[in-house]
Amino acid sequence: MSSTDKPVLEVDELEKRVAVLERKISREKKARNIAENKLEQYSLEIYQTNESLKKALASSTKKQKELEYLGRASSYVGSEMKLNEIIDNVVELTGRFCEADFGFYLVAKKGNIIQEGLNKVWCLNRGWQDNAVLIEVIGKLLPLENTELLNSWNVLDIDYFPSNAGQALKQVCYTNFALAGGKVGWLAILNSHSVVEPDVLSVLNTAREHLLSGISRRLTDLRILKRNLQLQESLEKLENARKQLIQSEKMASLGQLAAGVAHEINNPVAFIRSNMEVLQDYLKDYKLLHEDLKKITYSSKTLSTEVFKEAFEKIDIDYIDEDSVELLQSNIEGLIRVKDIVDNLKSFSHSGSEELTPIYIAECVDAALKVTGNAFKYEHQIDNQVSELNLTVLGNLGQLQQVFVNLFVNAAYAMEAGGELTISHSSSEEKVVIHITDTGQGMDKETVSQLFTPFFTTKPVGVGTGLGLSVSYAILEAHNAQVTVDSEVGVGTTFNLSFPTITQQ
Amino acid sequence: MKGIVFVKFNEFIEEVWGDEFWDELLSEANLASEGVYTTVATYDDEELFTLVGLVVVKKGISAKDAQFAFGKWVFKELYNLAPPGAHDFKDVFEFLHAVQDFIHVEVKKLNPDALLPEFEFLSETSNVLTFKYLSPRKLCYFCEGIIHGLAEHTGQDIKVSQPECEHEAGEQCVIEVEKV
Repeated sequence: MSSTDKPVLEVDELEKRVAVLERKISREKKARNIAENKLEQYSLEIYQTNESLKKALASSTKKQKELEYLGRASSYVGSEMKLNEIIDNVVELTGRFCEADFGFYLVAKKGNIIQEGLNKVWCLNRGWQDNAVLIEVIGKLLPLENTELLNSWNVLDIDYFPSNAGQALKQVCYTNFALAGGKVGWLAILNSHSVVEPDVLSVLNTAREHLLSGISRRLTDLRILKRNLQLQESLEKLENARKQLIQSEKMASLGQLAAGVAHEINNPVAFIRSNMEVLQDYLKDYKLLHEDLKKITYSSKTLSTEVFKEAFEKIDIDYIDEDSVELLQSNIEGLIRVKDIVDNLKSFSHSGSEELTPIYIAECVDAALKVTGNAFKYEHQIDNQVSELNLTVLGNLGQLQQVFVNLFVNAAYAMEAGGELTISHSSSEEKVVIHITDTGQGMDKETVSQLFTPFFTTKPVGVGTGLGLSVSYAILEAHNAQVTVDSEVGVGTTFNLSFPTITQQ
Repeated sequence: MKGIVFVKFNEFIEEVWGDEFWDELLSEANLASEGVYTTVATYDDEELFTLVGLVVVKKGISAKDAQFAFGKWVFKELYNLAPPGAHDFKDVFEFLHAVQDFIHVEVKKLNPDALLPEFEFLSETSNVLTFKYLSPRKLCYFCEGIIHGLAEHTGQDIKVSQPECEHEAGEQCVIEVEKV
């Protein structure tokens, strides 16, 4: 390489180097431009994204508010609160949702406000307050006289607002709905500034539908409740009538028994009276003896055994002593019998409670037989096979006694010419069946089929009420007992009373 | 492919063979981008493969060696750009596990459309970790280079091999990393 070539080479190399570096710089510049453009693009995208996020946030906040409003309105409507409380809460909620200044609820009938002493107005900053003036002013603005119900919230711009009614209001948003008794409820919210937007109105209308269905449900519930109360009252009346009927029928059968019972009481009374007369005579004899002995003792100053004996023999004192004891004993027994009869009549006629307690069948049958004893005469035999048994059922002694009395009286009536009454039983694990069998005239099928029909009777007018068996049937039904009848004309009748055993109850 | 890879490849070539060689590559490659690379854009994968192909021809090295060398060099560069949490790892295996669960998650946050390789771990003992390398770009040698760069960073001696490789008639690429 010559010395003159060297600078040429260096120049070539340097030019080449410069060219490489220039291309590099050019690439770097282009890259920077691309990067800067990208950066601007990103910035724009970020800005746009940010804007749309803000919008989305605002929209979702609004939706959330709307949902919250609807959710809370629904929960009020579905709550157990009183109707007025629900409506008050909805007024307040709606007022807050619309950022209204005031809100209230009024009730009108035929265009007139019947607020029933409530002049409360909800105020955004102060809650519920009395404000009769505002209600009156707005009441005039609302189309209260309009009998047609609205089907949505309406908006009304207020042109003139009286200065004495406080803060000037520009808009009233209202709706109405039917209440019971031709009354109409009006809801109103009042604004001094913002205008209720159409999309807010649609949310209000959704909540309104909810509220309306809630109100109508409440009103229906109220009607059902009232009807229920009426039914309950009717039921109570019916129950009382039933009790009275049972008692009347009992008294009526007592009437039928009265003659027999009187005879039953008369017998002991007659022999007690006769015994008393004899005892009166005996007392006279004793008085005579006493007088005689006194005289002799006073005159002779002494009483000899002979004289004493003679005086005693004169009135047959030994016999009197002996007989008096017997007479007194007989009287006591007679009185006990009378007392028994009276006691049984008392327990029978007593209306008593309707409570079911374990009772002895034997006790019940015995008591009924005592009351009806006189209905059966000498030509009747009574075979009481349950008197010694410890059969118990869940029942009401007084009422079951009434049933047995009724059946025994009927049996006696059926066996006018005499016969046998048998009280027997058959028991199983589930039930105790008492059979009351008479050997009377029996009944045909038609009679049997009408046996428990009220006012059906085969007895002559004035003898039976026609209610005995129907009342007995009602009593047995209340005891969860069933009754069947087997009867054959000319042979007799058997009533089978089937009680559930106590363990089955 | 993300622009960062091209920018770093540019830096790598200039560092190893000078900016004139890079200029020469570009003038011969005739690329759509003209080699104007920025980290904020993405470029056609083929541009990288073309450039690597030219390096292979001009310098007489294998494609495997070229990918490997770039991978080993680029680790520290990418590491410096990685999110702060990625700097807490002190062990090669620990880092490889974190690549998928942590680093790629972070990368996706910034570049939702980034196409990232997946690792499917097959086995692990205290000193040997085996995983499948799954990527349609099939840059398994580049991956090996990166693992070596990682080991250099953690100060661990390792041996990386591929018991199976798609470039050598395998069905898949399986990378085995052994601590030595």
